Amino acid sequence: MRELRIGLFLGLRQIQRASLWTTLLIISVILFTFLNLVSVSGILIGIVDGAMHEVRTEAIGDISINPLDGETRIKETERLISELSSYHEIAAFSPRYVGMATIEANYKERRSLNAEPDIIAVNITGIDPEAEDETSNISSLVSEGEYLNPNESGYILLGKYSVDRYAAEFGDVFDSLKNIYPGDPVLVTVNNQTREFIVKGIVDSKVDQVSLAVYIPEREFRRMFDRVDHNANQVSVRLNHPYDETTVRDRLRESDLTELAKINSFTDDIPKFVVDIKGTFTLLGFFVGAIGIAVASITIFIIIFINALSRRRQIGILKAIGITRRTIEYAYVTQAIFYTIIGSTLGIIITQFGLIPYFIENPIDFPFSNASLSISPEGMMIRAGALLIVTIIAGFVPAWMITRQNTLNAILGRK
Amino acid sequence: MSIITGKNICKSYGKDTLENKVLKNIDIEVSAGEFVAIMGKSGAGKSTLLYQLSALDKPTSGEITIDGKNILDFDESELVNFRLYTLGYIFQDYALIPDLNVTENVLTPLLMRGIDWKTAQKISKEVIDSVGLEGKYNNLPSQLSGGEQQRVSVARAIAGKPKILFADEPTANLDSVSGRSVIDLLAKLNEEGQTIVMVTHEEEYANHCNRIIRLEDGVVKKIEDRNYLLTNTTKGSVEHVAPINLPTY
Repeated sequence: MRELRIGLFLGLRQIQRASLWTTLLIISVILFTFLNLVSVSGILIGIVDGAMHEVRTEAIGDISINPLDGETRIKETERLISELSSYHEIAAFSPRYVGMATIEANYKERRSLNAEPDIIAVNITGIDPEAEDETSNISSLVSEGEYLNPNESGYILLGKYSVDRYAAEFGDVFDSLKNIYPGDPVLVTVNNQTREFIVKGIVDSKVDQVSLAVYIPEREFRRMFDRVDHNANQVSVRLNHPYDETTVRDRLRESDLTELAKINSFTDDIPKFVVDIKGTFTLLGFFVGAIGIAVASITIFIIIFINALSRRRQIGILKAIGITRRTIEYAYVTQAIFYTIIGSTLGIIITQFGLIPYFIENPIDFPFSNASLSISPEGMMIRAGALLIVTIIAGFVPAWMITRQNTLNAILGRK
Repeated sequence: MSIITGKNICKSYGKDTLENKVLKNIDIEVSAGEFVAIMGKSGAGKSTLLYQLSALDKPTSGEITIDGKNILDFDESELVNFRLYTLGYIFQDYALIPDLNVTENVLTPLLMRGIDWKTAQKISKEVIDSVGLEGKYNNLPSQLSGGEQQRVSVARAIAGKPKILFADEPTANLDSVSGRSVIDLLAKLNEEGQTIVMVTHEEEYANHCNRIIRLEDGVVKKIEDRNYLLTNTTKGSVEHVAPINLPTY
């Protein structure tokens, strides 16, 4: 204990009297190492988390309700909806009706019946415009034109992949309509029944499921598809904050609704490949972080080694006047701990109050997601802890090496 | 009564044909309360002898007993304790810790002895006062002159009341006024019973010692007893300086 106390005293005095620039340099090395640890893995995981967040908010919802196995529609959807309305944890829900259709554009400009029509096959989704917007905020995704008005009929929203100027960036992957803009007419054909719609807007989402779909009001959908019942193909549910999806899912499952439909939380519906990608990115982040830690530990080792080497004579004198080796080692470890605590604390402050808010406001625009910095406070503390352990070792080893040298040689500067 | 006994002390550097024998079969005895000067030309082996006697280095062969203990049998921790409780060092270039102020330089070995901070600070200040550095407690070594730094070095060495004080050319880096004041300080300590072994090449300063051991090419060439001279010739300023009252603890 005495050795620790004196080591602490000597270490703090060394920090106090050290050159300000040297101190700033060491703290900067720790700070940037910490930011490297946090940001590389945080962005990698943020890409996947961003994609999952968008799929959750724009497509699947916190809870998704789907037909039972062997069924194509949810039984007694009206009863289910009425039941959902009684849950205070549920903020909004949207029944969706899905069917196959073809859409033809530019038919008015077609000069002859033999000319190739501008036609594509799509998944058409019938929605209640208000309920859908409350659930998925789809109106915010309309990049051109306007969102569907519940009081109007005869309008259609096109997902961006149905429009050639958006789909072109993906080559020939998607069939798309040429030169189509809001206000243009299109023909929607279902089971040989054709109806003209006016394009109201283009939906631009990074979620393929949303950008591949086209939307019409459910009233018109049911009419075109002869769906006399109200049985939907899917119901997406958004929960009030801060209710947990698993808890609400379990409550719903406890009711007799499970006889009508499959009730899953968003996590249940995450495809395995997404979980695998997240795992891979976490591993990649860990690997890059490990390299960062190794570089930092070598840098800190070199800095402390040079520091200890330049104080070799002082170390010899301390030994000569009766200061134990362990005390001197504690002094150097104290310095390493001090630099790491300051550097990591600054790193946590910058990350928490600078980087995370910045990336939320300005996410990185990846083709399949808006990536922000995904790092939890616990994750930051774990990284700071790892950095601390590494720097303690990197601070201890050079001090240990130099205190082992012959006392007289250290004092006289002999090798 | 001998406090230091050295027998057949040999020290060599290098091996075989490159072997350089710095000390050759030196026998030495220092009595408690003596002030001994080791003198000689450059390369005579005087500093090397001091390092062997002060447990800073180990001789190639021979025996060294200090205060009844064979210091060559000590392991690392025994050596640290022995240095801490029995020996005091004054180095040619002061050897102060630049990060510590005057008081902290003096009190660090006291803390290592287990003395609490407050008491160590009190003792340190009293010792600093006794070496004539009143009011310089918080100065860093870089803010002191060479003579003042050497006084701090003396204060650090004597604060723990060591049985033996080793001084390696303590005046070599000082001007004549500062050098004399340091020697006066050592002489006062010796008058109070402090055993001192000092390496010097200044005859004038060696005159304050009881004995002078003259080395030449690693062997003792001559031992001069100065007690006679000290009582019959000028004693310099020794008699005129007030005695140092070291604090008790």
